[in-house]
Amino acid sequence: MTAASAPAASRPAAARRGAGSAVLGSGRLLRLELRHNAMLWLLPVAFALFWYNGYREIMALPPMWNLRAMTLQNRLLFDLMVPAVGAAAWMGSREGRRSITDLVAGTARPRWSRQLATWAATTAWAELACLICVAVVYLITARHASWGGPLWWPVVVSVAGVPALTAIGFAAGAWFPGRFVTPLVTVVVFFGLAFGTQATSGDHSYWQISPLIAGAFDIGAAPGVATFYPYLPDLSIAQVMFTAGLTVAILGALGIPVARMRWLAAVITAAGLAAAGTAVALAGTGRLDPHGMIAIPALHDAAAGQPVRYTPACGRSPIPICVHPAYAGFLPAVTTAVGSELTEFAGLPGAPARISQVAPVYQQETGNGINVSAHVSGASEFIVPDPLPGQPGGTSTQFAANLAEGLGLQLASRVILGGADQSAGAAPSQAKLAVIAGSVRFPSSVESRDLAPLYGQVLPEPGSPASLAAKRFAALSPAARHAWLAGHLAALRAGRVSLAQLP
Amino acid sequence: MNVEISDLTRRFGRHQAVAGVSLQAGPGVFGLLGPNGAGKTTLLRMMATVIPPTTGRLRLLDRDPATHGPRREVRRRLGYLPQNLGYYPGFTVAEFVEYFALLKEMPAARVPAAVATAVERVDLSGKAKAKLRTLSGGMLRRVGIAQAIVNEPELLLLDEPTAGLDPEQRVHFRALLRELGQRATVVVSTHLVEDVGAACTQVALMDQGKVVFDGTPGELTARGTEQGTGDAPLERGYTAVLAAARA
Repeated sequence: MTAASAPAASRPAAARRGAGSAVLGSGRLLRLELRHNAMLWLLPVAFALFWYNGYREIMALPPMWNLRAMTLQNRLLFDLMVPAVGAAAWMGSREGRRSITDLVAGTARPRWSRQLATWAATTAWAELACLICVAVVYLITARHASWGGPLWWPVVVSVAGVPALTAIGFAAGAWFPGRFVTPLVTVVVFFGLAFGTQATSGDHSYWQISPLIAGAFDIGAAPGVATFYPYLPDLSIAQVMFTAGLTVAILGALGIPVARMRWLAAVITAAGLAAAGTAVALAGTGRLDPHGMIAIPALHDAAAGQPVRYTPACGRSPIPICVHPAYAGFLPAVTTAVGSELTEFAGLPGAPARISQVAPVYQQETGNGINVSAHVSGASEFIVPDPLPGQPGGTSTQFAANLAEGLGLQLASRVILGGADQSAGAAPSQAKLAVIAGSVRFPSSVESRDLAPLYGQVLPEPGSPASLAAKRFAALSPAARHAWLAGHLAALRAGRVSLAQLP
Repeated sequence: MNVEISDLTRRFGRHQAVAGVSLQAGPGVFGLLGPNGAGKTTLLRMMATVIPPTTGRLRLLDRDPATHGPRREVRRRLGYLPQNLGYYPGFTVAEFVEYFALLKEMPAARVPAAVATAVERVDLSGKAKAKLRTLSGGMLRRVGIAQAIVNEPELLLLDEPTAGLDPEQRVHFRALLRELGQRATVVVSTHLVEDVGAACTQVALMDQGKVVFDGTPGELTARGTEQGTGDAPLERGYTAVLAAARA
């Protein structure tokens, strides 16, 4: 130690301390905190968790913005939760763990300000991790998606959720400094988030406020949601309001012990709690709109209900099939799945000139049940069935089977029955049913009784004469079946063709 | 007077750590002596505005630290080294000192030069970029002193500052104390009477929460000429005063 005289220091009088110097000082403090923040070291853990749990699942989904963005919201916060809450709790408990409380208590900067700098640094790193994950998913999706653009509301919800997570962890660490508070608060928040989403029941559930929920609980990220109609931000707005309110309330509560700022901190806390409580109440007024999203009347913009304009993507099959451009990647699979029916019925009376995809219609049932249907007119419209290949539980085989059971049967019934039998309520002849059954390429797993309640048709029982005739008809090529129908369809519809007369 | 204390008390539950202390100190080095549990650290913590007194009057740098504005102003002009120095192991020496310069709300533009000066004054310039976890106990103590003096305090409170320092560093430190004491009030709590003899211009001796002696080191030495025990004159004065107070 040297006793050399120190440079003469001009005394920093309070009055001379400019706002610029204060900002610069806070900036330097933040830089120090950023450099020595636990979250910085946990970034690899955050990325590894996201890669293992979220990224692989999101990338396995079809490259549709709605699917990936809504799944991202569902996964990202959950994956970041462990490192973010853990790091925040560790940083919040730092002064207590390091026995530095006395030393910092005697400094001029208020404790609240000091704590906010540490929390802000933790949050900044966690937000960086969040944004990097979003950027990776969105950049890859942008390269593969056939239509549309990024959905930002799920990102906004995730970004707004990160400060809430770090605030919870930081406050726990600051209030209960100790080594065990970090794992404890992490486990509590983990289970709180996990069980919070499971508690959701129906479109009026208050639990929808969880920032992990991107849509109606039972359908979540569905291809038909936010495709034909815009993404409704109602629930997202409520979720952002909730997480922002929670963050403000917790950070405000950190300042309550500071004597001079007690009232200010209390007002901030109360405002945050009010915002969060209002958001929860708003979420409870949600309802499932026909387009599959949660609409909140107080936040709803009626203009958002207008359908999105698009130019359909059409195939070159005998009866062209047109789908929403977001589904363009699945057009070959759709065409292949019902290719023989398209060849067989093209040009016949009652066959449509074109088949277009329409939006599914969603309706809330009791509990979490949601009915998905379509308002189709005739055989010229259809809905692409869920799940798409790549979605959980979705395989190409299952997708083709769903199309055959849906579009294929719908097309065959429309052409063979001509609408007459269905409208009159009369039972169709055995010959008509045999032709329908022989025309549609049902997967081997489909039995006649499976279809009866779905389409109002009772297909021939296995082993019956009609079933044998159907197998005989199915053995023909689509072109041969088309040729026979071109000559006999009128007679078949009129009931003048018997089972024995079928080729 | 930079420090004006009258009838100051502090209780922790049923235990009265400080029981009616009155002191005054101006620029210079003020030694605070006393056995373990005498209340020195509690008195220093009150002077550092870490804990409020239970009763009594405390004025620091002509301000009343009981109210927020003056307390904040006092803290800007205060340096404090607690008995048990906590630290952040991942910080470097310079970062740790800079951290406290910023917490003391020094003008940001002055911070880099002030940090360099403070680190140099405790002979740690060569270790400025070393992580605190790599330093010895004595070096950490010097880092603690550096953070205490980084803002050129008008009131410097040091609790056992020489604990862990080697003899050479202790000699250097006493020189630093004398230099700091030329324009600031430096209050040093210590067990080591030789530190007091070498550096202090005024000394108080505490026992059981009370000040039992307040004077110069010479006056304390004089008290031990007849009945004190110890190897050095000041030690004999110290033991003599304590014995008289307990009699």
